[in-house]
Amino acid sequence: MTEQEKIALIEETLDLDEGTLTADTVLDDVDEYDSMAKLSLIVMMDDEFGKKLTGDVIKGFKTVGDILAEME
Amino acid sequence: MKSIIDLTDKRILIIGASSGIGKQCAITLSQVGAKVILAARREDKLREVLELLEGDGHGIKAMDVQDTENIEKCVKEIINEFGALDGMVYSAGVGTAIPLLQTKPEKIKQVFDINFFGFTEAVRQICRRGRYNPGMRIVGISSVASIRGDKSKTAYSSSKSAMDSAIRCIAREMADKDICINSVAPSMTATELYDRYIEKYGEDSDTNQDLLKRQYLGIAKTDDIANAVAFLLSPAARFITGITLPVDGGLTTC
Repeated sequence: MTEQEKIALIEETLDLDEGTLTADTVLDDVDEYDSMAKLSLIVMMDDEFGKKLTGDVIKGFKTVGDILAEME
Repeated sequence: MKSIIDLTDKRILIIGASSGIGKQCAITLSQVGAKVILAARREDKLREVLELLEGDGHGIKAMDVQDTENIEKCVKEIINEFGALDGMVYSAGVGTAIPLLQTKPEKIKQVFDINFFGFTEAVRQICRRGRYNPGMRIVGISSVASIRGDKSKTAYSSSKSAMDSAIRCIAREMADKDICINSVAPSMTATELYDRYIEKYGEDSDTNQDLLKRQYLGIAKTDDIANAVAFLLSPAARFITGITLPVDGGLTTC
């Protein structure tokens, strides 16, 4: 999966318009990045990458790039 | 002195007995005299629980409720080995949190397979002639989620509501057979599920603190739930059928 495809998957997961995010986007600047969005990321990472994200890992996400780093 | 909750020599099948509330039900029911048959997927875990039981005459049976077509075979083998049942506790379940936009039909089905279809199939199988003794009592482990809406709980809450709804129907249909059926609806209970919840949200998180405000008696212990189950299985509860009993530290009063 290319970086652009991963960003598109994050946008879909957070129900954002295509092209809203870049790797440098600061998550605190995204209004939609709330507790449900974080839960959505947990479900997506489990479904798509077989990874179990803990609360601590989620708390460590500052930018979209941090999420991308976990999408392997 | 006579004990109100006395299950001496009552044969009780507990499905989902390897951990959490089901495990505690096994221990508690053995303490009030029941002979329990522990059922769950993992036989090694069941053997560990078996060591914790009081009295003798208990047994174990490997059973995967997700494989609903296999439940009939398992129930037949249990009846052949241990005899007709006086009660059953259905504690198998999955507690999932999935936001609506990710709640695809297959995810709902996965939850329903264990929380609902496994339950109704197990009940269906033990309610056949020769598989139960007069006065059999059944308890499903439901949840306060059955009557409360919450974010990300579409699949889970629906499955528990389905269980409670089925119980009301089964209670009426089976009354002539002298079978009673109820559920208990726990709120957050100190099990592995709660450990995972804390791991996910953190103890000091707003989510957990909000929960503790609403569930104002604190987090339930598994004994709190097992004690209610023991009562509903006992002859002392003979006039109670078709209900869902909240065991929720006050949550549903808020």
